[in-house]
Amino acid sequence: MTKSESAAEVLIEARQVEKRYPNGTLALKGVSLAINRGEVVCIIGPSGSGKSTLLRTLNALESISSGEILMDGISVHAAKTDLNELRTHAGMVFQQFNLFPHMTALENIMLAPVEVLKLPVAQARTRAEKLLAKVGLADKAGNRPSQLSGGQQQRVAIARALAMQPRVMLFDEPTSALDPEKVGEVLDVMKDLAAEGMTMVVVTHEMGFARAVADRVLFMDRGELVYQDAPEAFFTGATNERLRAFLGQVAAH
Amino acid sequence: MKPASPLWRLLTVALVLAIGAGMYWATLKVNYQWRWERVPEYLLVTGGEEVPAPFDGTVAVNGKQIRITPLLGGEPQAIPDIDVVQVSDGEIVFAGNTVGKKAGITPGPLLIGLWVTLKISALSLVFALVLGLIAGLGRVAHNPAARDLAAIYVELIRGTPLLVQMFIVYFFLGTVLNLSGFVAGVTSLAVFTGAYVAEIVRAGIEAVPKGQMEAARSLGMSHWQGMRKVVLPQALKRSLPPLAGQGINLIKDSSLVSIMALTDLTKAGREVVSSTFSPFEVWFTVALMYLLLTGALSVYVRKLEKKMAHD
Ligand SMILES: Nc1ncnc2c1ncn2[C@@H]1O[C@H](COP(=O)(O)OP(=O)(O)O)[C@@H](O)[C@H]1O
Ligand SMILES: [Mg+2]
Repeated sequence: MTKSESAAEVLIEARQVEKRYPNGTLALKGVSLAINRGEVVCIIGPSGSGKSTLLRTLNALESISSGEILMDGISVHAAKTDLNELRTHAGMVFQQFNLFPHMTALENIMLAPVEVLKLPVAQARTRAEKLLAKVGLADKAGNRPSQLSGGQQQRVAIARALAMQPRVMLFDEPTSALDPEKVGEVLDVMKDLAAEGMTMVVVTHEMGFARAVADRVLFMDRGELVYQDAPEAFFTGATNERLRAFLGQVAAH
Repeated sequence: MKPASPLWRLLTVALVLAIGAGMYWATLKVNYQWRWERVPEYLLVTGGEEVPAPFDGTVAVNGKQIRITPLLGGEPQAIPDIDVVQVSDGEIVFAGNTVGKKAGITPGPLLIGLWVTLKISALSLVFALVLGLIAGLGRVAHNPAARDLAAIYVELIRGTPLLVQMFIVYFFLGTVLNLSGFVAGVTSLAVFTGAYVAEIVRAGIEAVPKGQMEAARSLGMSHWQGMRKVVLPQALKRSLPPLAGQGINLIKDSSLVSIMALTDLTKAGREVVSSTFSPFEVWFTVALMYLLLTGALSVYVRKLEKKMAHD
């Protein structure tokens, strides 16, 4: 009964994507994948396997060398594509939060709606307050990022991305920089988001989260998309050698 | 850390006093006559302003009333507001001769020079900040032409002495474009300081983590929006201390405008020295006046920094 089965409408499609960095590193080797509207996809894999690179090509924070990426039918990397417009539809959450330190939590969330969507300030404020309440930080509206814990900062960052009312949320290891006791509060917000039907692509090492929330789990290794499956099958029945080796390593820790 | 012993402070005071005493002793050796009591009159002239005769004529004095009858004929004319009469009844004066003085305090040469230095420095600083911001943004721009132009500007200016630049602006541009000494002075100081401001701005922008611009772009903001709203506010805050240093350098460098027929504080000092025999007092006073300007600037910037740290 995965959501992807009920409404199998493709939101993001990558076709044979290759990415070579200017220094010669081949970070993506012919990656193809499709993500359906409302689907939650988790990407796992060893460090340096190209997970971040893949995620960042989806909203064109990184260019690609060849292949094509479509979002809502629009070719992301085509020269004529309005990237600023396109990025408003894809919220991104970073490992290091990247909150704007010179602004309060509320101002962080209001900035892009006011600057990009040209929302009236009062309306942007209402939206920001609602989102802060949603991530459980209604009382931190006036706090600077430096006055918030890592978990709180990441929740503000999620609210900031949601303020653009995106069609998809891209998470790049959102809990990797957090103290272990702060991981749960961020994952809870993400679970709520998934339950509301948000399309999500999540690069993560949280196997428990992937197992519980994902519709599909992808395994990347050395720039290749090696294996993908529904979580149950992925974590228990997978026969792929590289995946088994990786899961064995993770379990050993 | 254990609080430092007050003895160190005492040692500092003792050393400073010793150096002062040494200098005093050295002046005794050259038989220098200190005349500190004359310094105030270089700052403020209490004697009042001299009043010249408007035309050639014969003077009639009645108490503090001066009337001049033109030699060429015509009605006698009263000279108002004279407090000290410096002509006698029946005397013949020529146009421009001093007939008396008005009472009141007028700024002396050093204070006038200070005002010129302040005006030049403040104006140059404003232009230098604008120029430096533009060139600094050019240094980090994606556009190769903007990057190269900014780099050429910075390297040319930083690679040549300010005095030579001033000669070029004053004698070449000044002649071609018919610039006044003041305009030439402000131009060369602003262009010179702007190059250093550009490097400060560039360093400030580069010190802002890349993730900041990425977060802004991921929200759909343009490069310029991200620069203006996210990167620059953080970069400028970091740049404040080095910018203050550059402002202080600017005030000191402004002393070079004396080559441009401008009577700034330094030139005023030189003029006073040449008409008196008190070089030591005058130069010490001039130094103190520069210190006042630079000190005020650094106190102001420190206040600004504190304020920015709070909000
Ligand atoms: N900006 C970059 N320039 C050059 N090489 C890079 C850059 N970013 C990542 N890489 C390289 O690309 C590969 C994939 O990196 P990345 O996508 O960050 O992997 P992951 O997120 O899975 O750890 C790695 O070999 C990494 O060193
Ligand atoms: Mg990564």
